[in-house]
Amino acid sequence: MTAADEKIFLANVRRALGIDSPRRAPRLFAESPSAYSKRLLEKISRRTGEETRKLIHRLKEAAAPLNIDLHVASDIQTAAALITRIAADKSPEWADRKTVAAWRHPLIERLDLPAALDAPVFFSEPDPGLSGEEARRRMIEQIAKSFIGVTAADFCLADTATLVLRSRPGQARSVSLLPSIHVAIVEADRLLADLAELYALLSWDPEQKTEGLSTCLTLITGPSKTADIEATLVHGAHGPRELHLVVLEQNS
Amino acid sequence: MTRITTEKYRQQAAKGAADPVLRGALANLQNRFGRGTAECYRRLPEGPDLRKRAKRARQESIDHLDVLLERLAEKIRSRGGHVYFARKGKEAVEYCLAVCRRHGVRLAVKGKSMVTEEIGLNRSLSAAGIEAVETDLGEYIVQLAGESPSHIIAPAIHKTRKEIGRLFADRLGIAYSEDPPTLTRAARRALREKFLAADMGISGCNLACAETGHITTVSNEGNIRMASTLPKVHMVFMGMERIVARLEDHDMLFRLLARGAAAQNMAGYVSYIGGPRQPGDSDGPEAFHLVVLDNGRSKILADPEFREMLCCIRCAACLNVCPVYGRIGGHAYGYPYSGPVGAVVTPLLVGINRAKDLCSGETLCGACRHACPVDIDIPRMLLALRAKLADGDPRWGVKRTSLLEKAAFVLWSKLAGSSRLYALAMEAAALAQRLLPGNRQMIRRLPPPLAGWTQYRDLRPLAGKSFHKRWKTNDRSR
Repeated sequence: MTAADEKIFLANVRRALGIDSPRRAPRLFAESPSAYSKRLLEKISRRTGEETRKLIHRLKEAAAPLNIDLHVASDIQTAAALITRIAADKSPEWADRKTVAAWRHPLIERLDLPAALDAPVFFSEPDPGLSGEEARRRMIEQIAKSFIGVTAADFCLADTATLVLRSRPGQARSVSLLPSIHVAIVEADRLLADLAELYALLSWDPEQKTEGLSTCLTLITGPSKTADIEATLVHGAHGPRELHLVVLEQNS
Repeated sequence: MTRITTEKYRQQAAKGAADPVLRGALANLQNRFGRGTAECYRRLPEGPDLRKRAKRARQESIDHLDVLLERLAEKIRSRGGHVYFARKGKEAVEYCLAVCRRHGVRLAVKGKSMVTEEIGLNRSLSAAGIEAVETDLGEYIVQLAGESPSHIIAPAIHKTRKEIGRLFADRLGIAYSEDPPTLTRAARRALREKFLAADMGISGCNLACAETGHITTVSNEGNIRMASTLPKVHMVFMGMERIVARLEDHDMLFRLLARGAAAQNMAGYVSYIGGPRQPGDSDGPEAFHLVVLDNGRSKILADPEFREMLCCIRCAACLNVCPVYGRIGGHAYGYPYSGPVGAVVTPLLVGINRAKDLCSGETLCGACRHACPVDIDIPRMLLALRAKLADGDPRWGVKRTSLLEKAAFVLWSKLAGSSRLYALAMEAAALAQRLLPGNRQMIRRLPPPLAGWTQYRDLRPLAGKSFHKRWKTNDRSR
């Protein structure tokens, strides 16, 4: 393709719109938060413990019909014990032995999975000794063999029981995708009400907006499912057939 | 190019309507999703009026399409992604083939994408020796059977579990089963191998965000996440209108999309993808290509009468409520886009004359408009298409379908304009109708060219005495 083709394409679009030359539309994209976004940001920053407990309640209601296994843990040891139990109870789908894939993440470090689990734990980092593409391939092979993938969600939207994951070093997208069981842990203060709050936060919050959506932002609502055969709902189409969500309450 | 059979709409529709299995499947689909969607709209905190706000956001974006596309391309390129603007389907296909050659692609896994159906991508890939595997369960079934999708969201809705059971036993070598979970597991196993071995993942784009510079993919199965995460190349095809200016607008649009498409509050997986894997990232493709396709859309954009159609987000809500689609199924429409959306989009993309029966086939009942998450006035555009076919339109290259019909209506307007002529004509017709087969209660058959009217119904005959005359007699007798 040449730049000229692109110019012709866009000129053609402009002609269809009745416009002669390239234009700027300054008001199309927000330069600063709207009054609506400001209200949302305000609401998020002032959220009390009581309000968070209400969000957990809403999350429980949303999660149940979606076949999400929701666990509320009061401390990190309880959360680790939960994962230990899941790993002990479930059987691997794609390999003979049990291995677990996990993100490199401060919250997951605190779980100390290698100590908590009988199964070997693979952290989703490419081997620095190998070339980029080769390292990535090896890493994906490892994750594909794992029967559980453990991630820590950036946020969780209570109204729809939606997990929000961003792509970062050590936090492979395939950990929430290839293993048969996805376990996501999220701290209670990372609960948001809905998509509107998430988008306001990612666009305008000083701590969040630099990273923004990252290269790949994934919203996950429930385990993988399909209704393509006679409109009958079946779980476990291509992605995880089970989704466990562990909400870690603050030590107050 | 994909096979276009819009000219055979009448025969294909008759075939669909005569198929009891298809009718059952469609009724099941419409009962489940059609009704569920209406209920979902009612439960929206903002109420069903949110659809009007969503439409305004879509319209604003369409009106600024040039600015939005430039911004999207600039942002994606800044992250190392490639963006190609294709005016014709052929250019898009050739670009894809060139990328395949550069990366030595032999196996590609595909997420469901209507736009790749539109440009007939699979056929071209296969001609170039590249295996392209559809991975959405419904699309996979349809591909294994050598058919085409009959619904935008549920492509294999026309197939029964028994047919799928036999197909899988035959093609995947599994024991026959008609149990949906067992069949799904078989496809899960077969396709996982493909995902892990593929060199390229191909997907569509639901709705890009210009502000942040991301395309989005939506699925419930997770297949598009696989296709966009595992292979070393990710190739995205996007109809040029599938973009919105602000992230803030994505909130209502995605909530409405999930409700319209599957009566869900939120789709299972929504991914925002802004380019290839960044330095340090653990996974994701090393190369990311976005193809923005015109293929006739700029012509729709240029016509104020049809520009509204570009607001469509392809959720298929209109299919799930349409009484016509519900009887004839998607294959009747002869092009990837079926149902009410297809009855408008298809003629505009393939030629209004070529798809002339599609707009006449719809009933104008308005159910599609009420179901549309962005409140598109499809009935208005169906009528506009009919008007073009009646009068001809040089701008769209439309030839008038029937001179005879036109002449008949000119005559009719003359008659209706004069009460004396009208009364005379009616009296003559009342006499003439005695020659038609039937009895005094009903006319069974009209002669050609009016035979169509009495093909499936009888016609009440004209009264011997007109209302006008009876009124006068009654008036006198009072």
